[in-house]
Amino acid sequence: MASQSNDPRQPSAARPYKPSVVAPQDLPVDYSGFIAVVFGVFGAMFRYKLCSWLAIIFCAQSLANMRNVENDLKQISMAMMFGIMGLVTNYMGLGPRASPKK
Amino acid sequence: MKIFPFSLFTLETSPPILITETFPDANQSIKNSTMAKRSSSSSLLISPLSLFLPRGDSLLYLIALLSLFSLLVHRLSASPTTAQSHFEGFDADEDEDFVLDESNDAVVPPLRSTPPPPLSLSQPTSESHHGPPDSDSDPIIKSPSSDPDPNLSSKSASTAFDYWDEDEFEGVPQHLTPETSEITVSASGSESDLTPQKSEVPEVEVPRKLTSYSVEIVCVSFLIMFTVNYFTGKKENENLALAWASKFANKDSIFDKNFSLLGVGENEDSPLLLKEGQNVFKFYASGRRFCSGVLATMELKSRHDFISRLYNMVVPCKDEITFEVYMNDDAMDQVVFALARKKLAKTMQKEAGDLQRFAGLVAPPNGRKWVAEELQVVSESKEVAGDLITDAVLDQVFGEKPFEKYGKGFISIHFSDKHLGLNKKMLVFKFALPDANHMADMTRLVALVPYYIDLIGRYKLSSHARSKTEAARLKIAQEIQKELQNARNEALQKKKAEQRKKLEETEAKLSAEALRKKEAKERARQMKKAMPKIKMSRAN
Repeated sequence: MASQSNDPRQPSAARPYKPSVVAPQDLPVDYSGFIAVVFGVFGAMFRYKLCSWLAIIFCAQSLANMRNVENDLKQISMAMMFGIMGLVTNYMGLGPRASPKK
Repeated sequence: MKIFPFSLFTLETSPPILITETFPDANQSIKNSTMAKRSSSSSLLISPLSLFLPRGDSLLYLIALLSLFSLLVHRLSASPTTAQSHFEGFDADEDEDFVLDESNDAVVPPLRSTPPPPLSLSQPTSESHHGPPDSDSDPIIKSPSSDPDPNLSSKSASTAFDYWDEDEFEGVPQHLTPETSEITVSASGSESDLTPQKSEVPEVEVPRKLTSYSVEIVCVSFLIMFTVNYFTGKKENENLALAWASKFANKDSIFDKNFSLLGVGENEDSPLLLKEGQNVFKFYASGRRFCSGVLATMELKSRHDFISRLYNMVVPCKDEITFEVYMNDDAMDQVVFALARKKLAKTMQKEAGDLQRFAGLVAPPNGRKWVAEELQVVSESKEVAGDLITDAVLDQVFGEKPFEKYGKGFISIHFSDKHLGLNKKMLVFKFALPDANHMADMTRLVALVPYYIDLIGRYKLSSHARSKTEAARLKIAQEIQKELQNARNEALQKKKAEQRKKLEETEAKLSAEALRKKEAKERARQMKKAMPKIKMSRAN
């Protein structure tokens, strides 16, 4: 364009990239993680296996959208625990599932 | 025995479930009791009670410890096979009870030796099938409601045991077939697998299995799709970002010609793009006149996220790239300017802080080429708008005709010396990214970035406009100052009120005696204060 007749580059003025620091409370809210926790608790409490499955699915979403490993992993792991606990109690906690006789 | 915990599951929440589940278990391991109905859990409680009655606390501790231990034991042995073995043991016990009761010793042994396999085949299935869906807690009421057998329905629990045993001894084959057929009919609710009935009706099993596992099938397949989509979507996003970088940030490209430092690292061959999350890519460039750096943030669709992808099918969104140009402090005059499509421009004018304070919608001037009809200029003054929308820009992008051709990816531009945040003087360009194969479509849009850096860097307001903008800035600065002052005053007052409240509270807490003392002290102090004054007045 018109105003780029001479070289506009100035190597001396170059400043390396500084990643802007974002405070933990300013991070976008992890809705899927929250939903996963809610579903997980619900599934484990009332033994709705669908809830537990949904919790696992939202865990996966939260995991896929994770940006800050240290920060988010805590919440996600909690949700995951709830989900898995719900599933375990659902499928194993009921005692002997009729299995073939040995 | 088995029915009892099952029926409670459906009624209560998890902690009590665990306990009810484990008490019979612990009972079994400790005492190996013969009958394990409701009384069994109380028998466990009573036996230590008699031993530890004098020490009340230790009893509670023991119970807590015992229940914890039994919980642990149960958790460890939670796998179906081990649990099954426990319950089988119970079955055998019950049989022996019956045997003792009936005193049918002579007949039983030979019969028992042959039928056990069918017994253990039929019994657990009938129970585990009718157990979970039924919410009754009493096995006596439960067995008639769930069992289809007419003989069972009229009798009590103990007779039910008799009848089961009769089944196993005499009518095993006859009773097995109706039972299994009933199960396949009433199957839908329970989620157990039907493996034990393999010999009877294998062909009816298959559809039942599928329908009862529909939730699991759907969820697992969704998870698999999610995982596959995660990797493919991630790749797609990366490809798009790389396509952009190779088009605009490679050697002899537009950014290479304008900036001496490209990429997020310190040295020359550092990576160009910084990936944040799976759908945000950042590109940084620096080393140019008038500005300290450019940060381009690509916010792509959440292609890696299957749920967002489904959502975006309903509510479509675009891949966006935002250039933030950090201008040098001395290189930008007092300019507030924005350009966007009409609807967005209006919302920007209302929502962006600086535009709201300083700028208003600018009507297209008469007798001059202006931006395309669908665009709206928001600016502090007409003069600024007229100076920033040059003929070159109109020819290249924003004129009526070129905008039709190149303006598809245009979202907004927003220049301001009063941005919120760390960098006050900033130019923000927002464009939509075309797909990876048509990156050249946005060449002219990207070219706007260096063009406007130079234009704004060189731009100087006329003295008239400058005095106007300065007055406006002063006024707004005063307003802000006032607001701040007010806020501070409010905070101060609040603090004072709180302190007073606290003081009053502590005073109220003090006893009357202390209060009197304090008052006396206060009076004495005031007297003391008053004394010198009198003296002084006398001296004068």
